Amino acid sequence: MKYEGKILLVDDETHVRKFIGLILKQLGATTLFEAGNGRDAIEVFKRESPNLVLLDVNMPIQDGIQTLREIREISADCVVVMLTSLANRQTVEEALSLGADNYIRKDTPKDEILAALRQTIAECFSVD
Amino acid sequence: MQLTASTLPVSQGTPPVQRTVMEQRAAAKLKGRKILIIDDDRLNIRILSSILQNEGFAITEGDSGERALELYEEIKPDLVLLDVVLPGIDGFAACRELRARHGDDTAPIIFITAKQESDDIVEGLAAGGVDYLPKPFRRKESLARIRTHLQNRILGEQQKALVDQLKAANQAKNRLLGMAAHDLRNPLASIRGLAEFLCDGTVGQLTADQLDLANTIFETSQSMLTLLNELLDVATIEAGELKIHKEPHNLTELVEKAVYLNNINANKKNTKIVFSPPEEAPIVRLDQAKIKQVMDNLLSNAVKYSPPGSIVNVRISGYHPAFTVAVQDQGTGIPENERHQLFKDFTTLSSKPTGGEKATGLGLAICRKIIEAHRGAITATNLPHGGCEFSIMLPA
Repeated sequence: MKYEGKILLVDDETHVRKFIGLILKQLGATTLFEAGNGRDAIEVFKRESPNLVLLDVNMPIQDGIQTLREIREISADCVVVMLTSLANRQTVEEALSLGADNYIRKDTPKDEILAALRQTIAECFSVD
Repeated sequence: MQLTASTLPVSQGTPPVQRTVMEQRAAAKLKGRKILIIDDDRLNIRILSSILQNEGFAITEGDSGERALELYEEIKPDLVLLDVVLPGIDGFAACRELRARHGDDTAPIIFITAKQESDDIVEGLAAGGVDYLPKPFRRKESLARIRTHLQNRILGEQQKALVDQLKAANQAKNRLLGMAAHDLRNPLASIRGLAEFLCDGTVGQLTADQLDLANTIFETSQSMLTLLNELLDVATIEAGELKIHKEPHNLTELVEKAVYLNNINANKKNTKIVFSPPEEAPIVRLDQAKIKQVMDNLLSNAVKYSPPGSIVNVRISGYHPAFTVAVQDQGTGIPENERHQLFKDFTTLSSKPTGGEKATGLGLAICRKIIEAHRGAITATNLPHGGCEFSIMLPA
């Protein structure tokens, strides 16, 4: 199964980008962009107009909430899913109220992340 | 010769009382402490004042109950000598008011009075005073009593300071635990996930040796994550942040799921977890995620501490609305002398896991806190034919 459509993966931790990136590849995503911080993310977002953004909440310099705001200023209907870990419940609630569509925990077993991402992709892309 | 009010020359200072070396040292520690004397009789005040000033205390004087209250706020004395018969509000009333305002932090209050009926003494102590000094004053006795009460007060202050320090240290420890656990969890989760990708061939086929290494990385990072989660739980619980959200759930389903998942592991040791559900599915108000955590802990313990090839029995008993889930293992049971440590933090008992598994010692302590948060109870009983039964009782 392959998905048409661009995905932007934003996380400051390399191991997360590698890990989530592999999962996305396994799910059939063909076009994947990465960014290591909020500022780069906005640059890539403006350039490539991805359909789905996976956005880490906890980043230095410019955090997920601020990046979410800027994305929403540019696009109201791009799907934005926050990447969180156990500690971030309050930030997640804030993100959801600011227009994030959902959240996925990145510190759960691979199968759970896989299932959550599969559902997210199926909901926002058409299948090739 | 007894020095009493009638024989004491009023205008002269008086020499300090004779003391042993120990008494001198103790008295030196009390120097400079503040004493508030309240008496409407000027003569009494001057006598007491001069005795006490000679001993190195800092004296403030007042002549009414109202003044007592004012001056107390102003100087915050370490001890109050309070006459009972006063114009306006009497000594007992002033004492009660001070205790009402300052509670246990109130300085010790000693009544000075000629009234010595037992009933009066009882009333004084009930009002919150700590002692009685009869008039006319016996100097040595009065000083001894005053010193004793001051020393008690100092001990109380030291104790409070220590407790505050301990509380702060405990909070700092919990914060540190929490931070460390969070910072370590994310990378570990990724390591575990990437190792899994290595094992399942996603990034290419591995040789048998490479696969073995990759498996080891996966399992090691998995058990580290479990320990970190437990550490985090402990820190959260101790910080008082354990919140449970109760909702009605089908207890049979919850137990069935936990049994199914834990049987996957049990299988590796040839051990089987057997659950015979009750006829009617009990609906219980509980926090699903937390009770699942408790069940996982009890079941994995039962498997860990039973020899390979064992049967672990799970049953639900009770009547609506309170139910009990019991897990019976076939291990060696809990030694009598270790019973009291069972549900404490970081203790592991002398029994060892039978398959070389790891034990962190935190699981049961967390289980107990979760069950207590549900207002239930968790117990362990050795079975007559060997093994142990852990029960969790969940009330309505």
